[in-house]
Amino acid sequence: MKAAPERGIFKGLSLSVNFMVEDLVIESTALTKAYGPHVALDSLDISISKGATGLLGPNGAGKSTFLKTILGLIQLTSGEGKVLGMDIRTKGDEIRQKIGYMPEYDALNPNMEAIHQVRYSGELLGMNPSIALSRAHQTLEYVGLGEQRYRQVSTFSTGMKQATKLACALIHDPQLIIADEPSNGLDLQARNFMLNTLQTTVNSGNRSVLMASHLMEDVERVCDEIVLLHKGKLAAQGKIQDLKAIDREIEVHVWGAASKMEELLTDRGMKVRREGRVMRVRHEGEGTYNDVLRAAVDAGSQVRRMHDHEASLEDLFLVIMERLGHEAKGSEELLRGIDP
Amino acid sequence: MSNEAPFEPVEDKTGAAFDADAPVTGKAQMQAAWSADDGERESTAQVASMPQGQIFQQIYQPWEGTLNPKWMRNWAILRHHVLGIFSKGHRPWGVPTKLFIFFVILASLTDVALTLLAGLIGETTLYSMFGVNRDNLYGHVMGFWPRNILYYPVVAALLVGGMISEDRAHGTSALYFSRPITRFDYASMKFLSIVIILFMIINGTLAVYYFTDILIMGKGWAWLIDTFPMFLAAFFCGILLSFTYTSIGLSLSSVSRGRFFPAIGLLAILMGTKTMAAIIDGLFDKSILYVISPYDAIAHVCQAIIGTEMTYSHPWTWSLASVVIMNGLALYLLANRVSSLEVTRE
Repeated sequence: MKAAPERGIFKGLSLSVNFMVEDLVIESTALTKAYGPHVALDSLDISISKGATGLLGPNGAGKSTFLKTILGLIQLTSGEGKVLGMDIRTKGDEIRQKIGYMPEYDALNPNMEAIHQVRYSGELLGMNPSIALSRAHQTLEYVGLGEQRYRQVSTFSTGMKQATKLACALIHDPQLIIADEPSNGLDLQARNFMLNTLQTTVNSGNRSVLMASHLMEDVERVCDEIVLLHKGKLAAQGKIQDLKAIDREIEVHVWGAASKMEELLTDRGMKVRREGRVMRVRHEGEGTYNDVLRAAVDAGSQVRRMHDHEASLEDLFLVIMERLGHEAKGSEELLRGIDP
Repeated sequence: MSNEAPFEPVEDKTGAAFDADAPVTGKAQMQAAWSADDGERESTAQVASMPQGQIFQQIYQPWEGTLNPKWMRNWAILRHHVLGIFSKGHRPWGVPTKLFIFFVILASLTDVALTLLAGLIGETTLYSMFGVNRDNLYGHVMGFWPRNILYYPVVAALLVGGMISEDRAHGTSALYFSRPITRFDYASMKFLSIVIILFMIINGTLAVYYFTDILIMGKGWAWLIDTFPMFLAAFFCGILLSFTYTSIGLSLSSVSRGRFFPAIGLLAILMGTKTMAAIIDGLFDKSILYVISPYDAIAHVCQAIIGTEMTYSHPWTWSLASVVIMNGLALYLLANRVSSLEVTRE
C-alpha cells in the first residue's frame, strides 16, 4: 500500500486518503489543458480508485474537458495521465474500448428501435453483429427495458432514454463507466432506478463508475469518493466520509438559557451555530463534549440531546466553497453555473 | 438484484397456510383445488400494491468476449448506412428516399430495356439509338435528361441530407467518438456509404447496360476490345460524379443541424450554377462559366476521357481543375466541421 500525496487546495487539512496504487482506474500528474490563454485544466493531480467516484464542480470548472482528456479525445498541453493503466496521450482507442461512456445529452437516434441502437453501439466497439445483438438483449434487460426493447427511441420517456444510453455504455462490459449527469431530468422513480442500477453495477458487477453530477444527493448515494474541480483546479478529492471530517460538528439540543450557553461557548473559543434550541458546535477533539457539558452547567441549561452531526455532501460542498473564498447559498446555485 | 421488489406478494387473507409444512386437511385441499371457503365471509378483492405481470431481477452479466480490430468497426458504420436502404435494424432511411432510389434505378434501366427489346425483335434502328456506343455510354452516366441532371442530384440530396447533420442534431456523434472511432473513420465511412449507394445506382446500371448488350447481341472479343476502354472511362465518370456530389453534399450536411438545408443546398448548387452558366452561355456565347457548375465540370471531363463530342468551348483541363478544387474545398469544409463535433456537449 502506498499513500497518495495530499492533493488539492485542502492539502493543509491533513486528510489521510489512501489509495491502493494497483486499484487506481484514473490517475493524472500535473495534467494541464489550455486553449490559448484559457487554462481549462490546471495541473491536476488526481487519483481515482476502483469503485464509484463522483465528479463535481460548477459550470466551467473543467469537468467536460477532464472527461474528454480521460477519453483520450484531446491532446494535453502538459502533464500526464493514465486510465486503467493506459496512457491517455497514446492509447486513446484502447481506453475508449474499455470505457463505457454515457453522455449527458441525447445521444440516440429517435427513429431506431432501442435494441438496434444498443446493438449498433456495440458494433462500433468492434463486437460481432450477432454477439452485439445478444448482449443488447442482456443489457436492455439489465437496465429495465427488457419489455420495451423493440420500441422506437422516439416513443421513450426521458428515463427510458437515459436507461438506453446506459445500456449502450454497458454493452461491452466496460471496466469503467463514465456517467455524465445520469439522473438528469428523471422523475423520482426513474432516478431511483438509475441510481440503483449504477450501484448494482459497482457492487455486484465489480465495475467502476465515474459519475459527473450536480445533484449532491445522487453522488452521495452512489459514490464513495468525490473529486471536486473548481476553475480547472482540484479543490478536493478523497473518500466522502474522510472529507466530511473537515466539517464535523456536535449537535446539542438544550432547554433554557440557550443564548447564554452559546455566548459561553463562543467566549471559550468554540465555533457555534444556533437555531433556537438546537446548536451545532465545531468538533475540535474528544474534549469538546466535556466543554459543551461544562458550558451547559455554567449557563444553567439542560442538555436534552447531544450527538455527532452527520454532515451531508451538500454541507461539505458549502464548507469547501467557503474556504475557497466564495459565499454560496447552496450547491445548486454554484453547480448551475452562477460563478461565485 | 434490484433493491426494490418489483411487486409485493399478495397476502393470503383467508388465513389458510399453503406452505410445505402445513397439514393437508380436507378444508385446505378444497381451498387449493377450488378456491373455496365456507362461503360465509364477505368476498373482498385482493388488490396488489404494485403493478403485477413481470418479475424483474437485476443481475449484472459480465461479458468475456474480445473486440474486433478497427476494420470491423469501420465495416459496422458502412454496413449500418448501406443496409439501412434494404432492411430494418440499420440506419432508418425514410420511405420517400427508398422509393425514390427504387424509381431512379428503374429509370436508369430504360436503356437496358430498349437494348433488350432491340435485340429480341432484331430492330437495328432501335439498337443504333439505344445500344452500347461511345455516346450512349457517356449518356448513361452524364447525358440523358432528366435522369442525370435531375434524378441523380435528387438521390444524392436525399442521401446526404441528414447524414452528418442528424448526428449533430440528435447528439449521436457522441456514440461514435466516445468509442474507438476516429473522426477520419467516421467521415470516411459515411462518405463511402453514400458513394456506394450512388455507385450501385449509376455504375451498377451502367454495368447491367453494358453486359446486357454483350449477352443479347452476342458480341465477340473484337467488339469487347473496342468498347471496354470506353466502358471503363464511363465507369470512372460514374465514380467521379458520385464522389463529387457526395463531397459537396456531405460538407453541407456537416454545417447543418437538419436534413432540409443540406439537401436543398446541394440541389441549389447543382441547378443554380448550371442555370446561371447556361444563361451566360446563351447571352454571350461563352462557356467558361460552366467551370463553376459541378455537373458541367464533370461532364466536360467525361467528354474528354470517353472521347465523345465536346459541348463546351473552353479547355477541358479547366473543368478538371474546377472538379479538383470543388472536391478539395468540400472535403476541407467536411473535415473541419467533423472535427468540431462534440462528445460531451453539442
